[in-house]
Amino acid sequence: MLEALQYFSMAWVSPQLLFLTALGTFLGIYVGAIPGLSVTMAVSILISFTFAWDINNALCLMVGVYMGGVYGGSRTAILLNIPGAPSAIATALDGFPMAQKGEAGRAIGLSTVMSVVGGFIGIFILAIAAPHISEFALTFQPRDYMMLGIMGIMLVGSLSGESLTKGIFAGAFGMLVGTVGLDPLTAEERFTFGAVELWNGINPVAVMIGMFGLSEALMQLHHLDKVALKQKLDRIIPAWADVRKYLSLSTQSSVLGTIIGALPGTGGDIAALMAYDHAKRVTKNPKVPFGKGAKEGLIAPESANNAAVGGAYIPMLTLGIPGDAVTAVFIGALFIHGLNPGPLLLTERPEMFWFTVGNLTLANIFVLIFGLTGIKLFARIVECPKGILIPLIFLLSIVGAYAINNSVADIWWMLGFGVLGYFMKLYGYQVGPVILGVILSRLVDENWRRAIISERGDLGEFFGQLFSSPLSIVLFSIITLVFVSQTPLWTQLKRCFKRPPRPDDSAHPGKSKDAAA
Amino acid sequence: MKKALIKTLAGVTFAGLLAGTAQAQYPEKDLQGIIQWGAGGSTDTVMRSVTPHAEDILGRDVIMTNKTGGVGAIATKYVNAMKADGYTLLMGAENPQMYKVLGLADIDYGDMIPINVLARGTPIFVARNDAPFNTMKELVEYTKKHPGEIKTGSTGPGGLTSIVLAMLEAETHIDFTGVPYDGDGPALTALQGGAIDIMPAVLGAAIEHIKAGRMKVIGLVDTQSSPLLPDTAPITEEIPGFNKYLPWGPFFGVFVKKDTPAEAVEKLTAAYHEAAQNPDFKDLMDKRGFTIMNISGDEAAKFLDSYRSVSSWIVYDAGFAKHSPEEFGIKRPE
Amino acid sequence: MPHSQHSYTKPGETLFGFLMVVLSVFLFWQAYSIAGFESLSSPGAFPLAATALMVITACIACVQNLRLPSEVQGHFFKEILPPVVAVMIAVILLFAVVLDTLGFIPTALAFLFLTIKFLHRGGVIRTTLLSLMVLVLIYVVFRLVFKVVLPEGIVPEREILAYLSDLFNTGAQ
Repeated sequence: MLEALQYFSMAWVSPQLLFLTALGTFLGIYVGAIPGLSVTMAVSILISFTFAWDINNALCLMVGVYMGGVYGGSRTAILLNIPGAPSAIATALDGFPMAQKGEAGRAIGLSTVMSVVGGFIGIFILAIAAPHISEFALTFQPRDYMMLGIMGIMLVGSLSGESLTKGIFAGAFGMLVGTVGLDPLTAEERFTFGAVELWNGINPVAVMIGMFGLSEALMQLHHLDKVALKQKLDRIIPAWADVRKYLSLSTQSSVLGTIIGALPGTGGDIAALMAYDHAKRVTKNPKVPFGKGAKEGLIAPESANNAAVGGAYIPMLTLGIPGDAVTAVFIGALFIHGLNPGPLLLTERPEMFWFTVGNLTLANIFVLIFGLTGIKLFARIVECPKGILIPLIFLLSIVGAYAINNSVADIWWMLGFGVLGYFMKLYGYQVGPVILGVILSRLVDENWRRAIISERGDLGEFFGQLFSSPLSIVLFSIITLVFVSQTPLWTQLKRCFKRPPRPDDSAHPGKSKDAAA
Repeated sequence: MKKALIKTLAGVTFAGLLAGTAQAQYPEKDLQGIIQWGAGGSTDTVMRSVTPHAEDILGRDVIMTNKTGGVGAIATKYVNAMKADGYTLLMGAENPQMYKVLGLADIDYGDMIPINVLARGTPIFVARNDAPFNTMKELVEYTKKHPGEIKTGSTGPGGLTSIVLAMLEAETHIDFTGVPYDGDGPALTALQGGAIDIMPAVLGAAIEHIKAGRMKVIGLVDTQSSPLLPDTAPITEEIPGFNKYLPWGPFFGVFVKKDTPAEAVEKLTAAYHEAAQNPDFKDLMDKRGFTIMNISGDEAAKFLDSYRSVSSWIVYDAGFAKHSPEEFGIKRPE
Repeated sequence: MPHSQHSYTKPGETLFGFLMVVLSVFLFWQAYSIAGFESLSSPGAFPLAATALMVITACIACVQNLRLPSEVQGHFFKEILPPVVAVMIAVILLFAVVLDTLGFIPTALAFLFLTIKFLHRGGVIRTTLLSLMVLVLIYVVFRLVFKVVLPEGIVPEREILAYLSDLFNTGAQ
């Protein structure tokens, strides 16, 4: 116990390690905030940069970047509607509407505090239950991953806005976009039209920057002369009453986020979307409707994606299996620094566990400090004249798209999806379901096929397997329940088809949406 | 970071004024290294651990960029589209040697200059702990009695798993159900969760899990036993037919475009040769079960040729090649 | 709100709906040509399901459009695609076309100057300074700190940077 405490506080008592963690967190927030720069990329660069360093120093810097980066994605999502990273997509859905109402400062403040709460819960679960959770995560079979993906896709129902038909269209289109390229399982070409450039598929980040950032900036050109809204900057640090009110939702989202983070193959992006869905289901009467600036819609994904950091470390530290793309790079870093990341890591280097836990805790505290300072400055960005802000968003979108894979092709995709998203928005389609489809497409496609192949193509056998383990039964029941109770798909479809929506629908968005939710 | 900042400040002030005045010998500017595979993968890790040593010798930075896609074909084509000036390096794995027969590209390493083939991996067969067999012989017998029941992980045509399985099927005529995964990492995870029964993988990817007793090794696809797995007999003792394919294994290498000036090739070769001898790098490779090769020039070309001929013919005979190796003048191995 | 389902069709909406139907049908056919209806686990199975869903929903949306009255006074180039939007899309298109040949620095500088001048209508000097500031900021963050190698084009960036760092190194020794 005493030993654990000593390792835990290693980074806290050494000024050098303390400084490096702070620096990493600070850099991470900006990496996260800038679209196209990903935490994965930043950590890879740091591997070369810290090559000759002592391992503890290097790890402090990288852990800081990771923690800060996951949080930082919310910044641009709230201020400019460009999620800095896929895990901040759900944040943009309600965060940006808040900024449009002049509440950018409050949104950032709230998202910071809730990110930190989420971060702590993730770390706490890592500290007390890591071995159990990693064994649990391994029991997920392909069919379970598939059901997880389907649960995510059901979110289309609540992201569709006024028209479920158009929402389903957008979601299906997104799933299709996700399948473009060489099939990862058989290397068969899908929708590549013979172009090698398309083999790797269309990068979800390019789609995201286009559909959110570029199309929004194009929209704003319509009212260029409108004077930028003055941001309310009085109460930035959320009131304690507010925090307490949402603490229960934040905790639920965080637990969800930690588990999804711990599953190899799903990370913060899926965690955030599922948490958003969860918030939408459990919040019966939000003060502001979802999609128009609901605080619940901001809190849930922000808690979940930071909790997923602690979650992703669970299989990595205990089994040497990465929980997400960033921890995969961390494994590479440990290996380069002469450690043997794997199930024996904690036997060979027992100090690694508590050192990492302590480090994550410290980084999380720095997120709170850096996150809450300078908000006023950031919120002012939105007040900058549109004539300057919009060109800046355009350039950032272009460079961000290029930076994903150093390729001009991604700029084309970003532009194409941006223009498509622009028209879709004008004609009453939502862009949320598209990006949801892109992100979940592979999860469902691959695991559906794996599950079927494992039963040698026997559909009866496949359905039998759904009732073969407690986990599968639970997941299957949740899906059935949600489907039957909350998505009256058939009545809804019939309604859409039979009679045009009432003229007053657009005036009362909350009312008509209850049916879809 | 500090260096970068200084560069910026200086760059912004003087840019333009001084353009074109720098005249020195190779390398007169930073190099770019294009890594075929993603961050955190084996290729990425090997390259990021050897290149800093080479940077010290070259006296310039090598900016490493991951350019993934098309089983490495996008990076390979990219490097071949750049100027042959020795400033763009391709950091890749074995995959391009199969491009021609699989119809993925019309270039392979035979059309490039090898700077260094750094190391080679050894394939092994692992199985989940409670599988009812412990050796290759038992696996073959069990599968013959229960055809199609054993689920093996596979990672797409042309990958290591597909080639090793094709070798096994050619020698023993047994029937597996292949469950596809997008990489050996996810497949080994699935093995631990019981979703698949066996999996051919590279030693380095599985060694830590084997040491921890989370899976068992049932076969070593090599002609000699490995110091990391002293109790496992090489597969050639159980299935002698494997002798004609081995030694065979995935490798990592650094390449430049054809017609790169001799000065650049010499300097790069020397730098990487010395870097690969660095004790830190050697230690790292040993621990992960990679065999250091550190070869260049004709020796490397010969190794690359032999790899290409074994693999191309195996996939062609197994029926998943798009073109016959003969079309490209690839000889059948004796 | 431009995002919501409305009670009349906007200019061009019927055409857009129709284009979506055409796109869906085309993609469905493409999905079919991957592996046909061969098996449930074929690479084409999931794309087929997704595109089938697209065809169905696109048709429903299209029928809905036809039932709605169209907006009388709306004009496509005023309400949907005003000149300023079209111009900006064209400028970004041009940016992507010339980026590789001209290089990032000149392209981005020209882009910033022209768009800020066009949208903000400030003075020439102020616009120039503003563009330069933004460019330097982006260059430092992307190229120097995070080593994203932006297209060099006509500016020999790496030579300049190498020359400068050599100059600095020898100066320091």
